Amino acid sequence: MIQSQAAPQQASDDIAVTLKGVNKWYGDFQVLRDINLTVQRGERIVICGPSGSGKSTLIRCINHLESHQEGTITVDGVTLSDKMKDVEKLRRDAGMVFQNFNLFPHLSVLDNCILPQRRVLKRSKAEAREVGMKFLTRVRIPEQADKFPGQLSGGQQQRVAIARALCMEPSLMLFDEPTSALDPEMVGEVLETMVELAGTGMTMLCVTHEMGFAREVADRVIFMDAWQIVEENTPDAFFDNPQNERTQNFLSQIL
Amino acid sequence: MFDFRFYEIWRSQDYIDTLILGVWNSFWLTVVGSFFGITLGILLALAQGREMPLWLRIPAVSYVEFIRNTPFIVQLFFVVFGLPLLLGYAWSLEASVVLAIALNFSAYFGEVIRAGIQSVPAGQSEGAMALGMSRWQTIRDVILPQAIAKVFPSMTSQFVFLFLTTGLVSEIGVKDLTWAGRYVADRTFRDFEVFIVLTILYMGMVYLFKGGFALMFRAAFPWWGKSR
Repeated sequence: MIQSQAAPQQASDDIAVTLKGVNKWYGDFQVLRDINLTVQRGERIVICGPSGSGKSTLIRCINHLESHQEGTITVDGVTLSDKMKDVEKLRRDAGMVFQNFNLFPHLSVLDNCILPQRRVLKRSKAEAREVGMKFLTRVRIPEQADKFPGQLSGGQQQRVAIARALCMEPSLMLFDEPTSALDPEMVGEVLETMVELAGTGMTMLCVTHEMGFAREVADRVIFMDAWQIVEENTPDAFFDNPQNERTQNFLSQIL
Repeated sequence: MFDFRFYEIWRSQDYIDTLILGVWNSFWLTVVGSFFGITLGILLALAQGREMPLWLRIPAVSYVEFIRNTPFIVQLFFVVFGLPLLLGYAWSLEASVVLAIALNFSAYFGEVIRAGIQSVPAGQSEGAMALGMSRWQTIRDVILPQAIAKVFPSMTSQFVFLFLTTGLVSEIGVKDLTWAGRYVADRTFRDFEVFIVLTILYMGMVYLFKGGFALMFRAAFPWWGKSR
């Protein structure tokens, strides 16, 4: 039931994100190698791969939390660079959910949702509160609105983080291992929220190892190893008939 | 056995009035000096951030180093007597003294606040910036409140320490509590008794300040310690 931006059905608007020949280094160490990826509007993509393979770096580049050195990244028609002026606008369009939630511990759950709306979208207090409650209700946590994040379980905190990101009405959602820091019994409630979000047509890029989620929700699965995209396929083909040897190894280890 | 004669102090309304004035002057000099000192300290702490340009970081670091490695009395003399000579313009004694105190306090508070800023996890500013908040909004609304909460106990003890050093302003004739003690002692020749009274008054003020800080902490940081 989560609302999303209705994408205008025009050819040029159908593409949410494009990466062309993206290379990135930390000093001399290359962390992304010739990444090429096009994400259609409304597409759900799962990125998986061994730890240290560059998955998080890749999606952190998409909202410019990290910068790349070569190639072009285009999000909603805006090309990212270190000199870009409206990086805040980009980040507001590309909501991000982190492994460690990154909720603000000094603000109540509702105020976590209100603050960025007030500061970034310049919404009135009343409107921000209303929108905040709307999305807290969507993630089924409205009764916790006045508590502080520290008083919630990990799963609840991650759902608040999703609600907080949705308050900004992004056109794209990035998930960086959203369930990896959770106790096993709380993974389900977060995945459920993400499945519901997928049902609204939201464009989603998820770094996750939840293969059940990938099978159920993803339009495409991308496998990364050694800082590059190794394999890319529909979930069924990816899981049942992996082509690359490294993919086969990875899948045999985690499934 | 020494013959304590505290009544020599209470005997004169002038002595009592002087001591009360001293308490008041020490109180407001510390409070006003701290207000400006903490404000400037926050700016000093921010100026030393890793992402700040060198032309900002180097002066900030140098300033803090200079203040913390020179005696307060020298800084006081410089601000009250030296600065007017250099500028050719003098403020009132009160204004100069408050300035000297604020400049001194700012370096100490700045270091404490800087430690607090460093202790806030990087994820907090990433979280804020990923929502589209600007650098300045992130600092003001996300980083600083958490940083100050974390170092609040250190700031309280730093405050007490700095309050006790303000006694040095009596050296240039500011009628603070230390000056008042000397005034009474010089006239009664009861130095021992006077300084016992002074000690009690200073300690009483310290506990007053600490109580005030504890109340402020509870009011400003209701979220602190709230976890499952």
